[in-house]
Amino acid sequence: MRTALWVLLAALVVVLGLSLTTGGEQTVDVTLRFNRDLILVLGSVALALAGVGSVAAWRAVRRRTHTAPDDVPPIVAHHRFLRRLDHELKNPLTAILVAVSNIRETCTPAEQQVLTSIETQTVRLSRLVRDLRKLAEIETLPLEEAVFDIRDLLTEAAALVQDADHGHRLTLRLPSAPDALRVRGDRDLLLVALHNLVDNALKFSGDEDGIELRAFREGRCVVTQVIDTGRGIPLADQPLVWEELYRGQNTDGVPGSGIGLSLAQLIVKRMHGEIALESAPGEGTTVTVRLPEAAPAAT
Amino acid sequence: MRATPRILLVDDEEAITSNLSQLLQRAGFEVMVAGDGRQGLALVETSTPDLVVLDILMPHLNGREMLRTLRQRGDWVPVILLTQVGDSSERTMALGEGADDYLNKPFDPHELIARIQAVLRRVRPGLPPLSAARRIGDDRLVLDRTSRRVWLDAQDVPLTPKAVAILEYLMTHADELISRERLLNTVWGWDYPVGGRVIDTRIAELRKALKDDASAPRYIETIPGQGYRYVGDVRPIT
Repeated sequence: MRTALWVLLAALVVVLGLSLTTGGEQTVDVTLRFNRDLILVLGSVALALAGVGSVAAWRAVRRRTHTAPDDVPPIVAHHRFLRRLDHELKNPLTAILVAVSNIRETCTPAEQQVLTSIETQTVRLSRLVRDLRKLAEIETLPLEEAVFDIRDLLTEAAALVQDADHGHRLTLRLPSAPDALRVRGDRDLLLVALHNLVDNALKFSGDEDGIELRAFREGRCVVTQVIDTGRGIPLADQPLVWEELYRGQNTDGVPGSGIGLSLAQLIVKRMHGEIALESAPGEGTTVTVRLPEAAPAAT
Repeated sequence: MRATPRILLVDDEEAITSNLSQLLQRAGFEVMVAGDGRQGLALVETSTPDLVVLDILMPHLNGREMLRTLRQRGDWVPVILLTQVGDSSERTMALGEGADDYLNKPFDPHELIARIQAVLRRVRPGLPPLSAARRIGDDRLVLDRTSRRVWLDAQDVPLTPKAVAILEYLMTHADELISRERLLNTVWGWDYPVGGRVIDTRIAELRKALKDDASAPRYIETIPGQGYRYVGDVRPIT
């Protein structure tokens, strides 16, 4: 089976490589007599990536058809697919990065610019694939559990975005000591989740908007809220923003990969919590995280 | 070691070996290539490389098996493993089974060259790497890599597992500048934007526990804007 897949991939690469040879000749005319071999190599690699992705997807589909639907929950199959995709892409991506590095020394300054662009996009693709893989790993990552006060973590998350807080009115509204708001979980991972939420609030708010971080106790839960008065999320997007790589309709001009909320959701779930979002377009967004309150740590 | 160090590249992907060979040759190394672990073992015997760059997933004999076989034979040729991104079991295995370092694919080509040079600098010809010793340290500070315990002046030092992992990595890469990003990738398996902060918190925990003064460090030195360097003596403790 594996051999057949590689044969299929090789065929794809050859076809694309040949088609791109023609494209390479055009590029030679228009631009810088750019190395035709390089174009062929990169074209082939581009197709290889597409081909490998297709193969991985095809494998996933094949696997599903051989598996009783009840055996593997869709989320597990999905994460398996992400791991396989990462695995299948790591070699082609490594080969591109090393090839670009090899060609650099023989290139003209103008060609260097093209190479830098290729390198930048390859690194971006590597990061995207790696981030998707991390999402899959959060499910099984061993947690370093500790009991801590959520107020400390919110203060830390606020400090982390201080540099990006250009004129925002980021405020912390936290009950004062000794009313500890203890939760149990992996502190580092929860900081990643909270940082993502605060970072989103900043990215989708204007300089005149306010952002508030709150924490309070509600029943047996510790509730954390990140509230902004920014642009909000269109109603149609709201159920979809938790999906990997989903970018809402009004996110133009805002950098991001569509990973942050998925990641925050997975982390909160692993800590036996819940995360929810309320938003009104043009008025702002509130993200609420509920975590079980923990007993004080044994001393 | 030879004037032009000889590197054995073991990977079943021709696209990787052909491009990496060029890269390493340009960096001043002599390069040999093997397509799987079986060929790799044969070449180690016949050609005595100064260092092996070893992929994990390969047909016939994979990278783990090849590394284990080498070490069982008492062959301590330095090995850099090319591992999968984020797989914590592979990271633990890499050092536990006697690799000198490891790097996740896809990697920055210059990072591989820097790692090779660093490993070649610290290698003690014919002797096991520090990462293969169970206990490492100096007269005052001892780290037991199997039990994950640390002693300072014979007193047990309570540390979180992540802090122990950072200390272990720094000690087994003594005198090397280690970036926060590298520590994150190594110990956590991810490098999100908050990572620098997370690392700094653990370094502060380590310094407090080891009674190390950041302004006059005995163990962990801060290189502003770049990362950390372990400056204490490290040797296998028997």
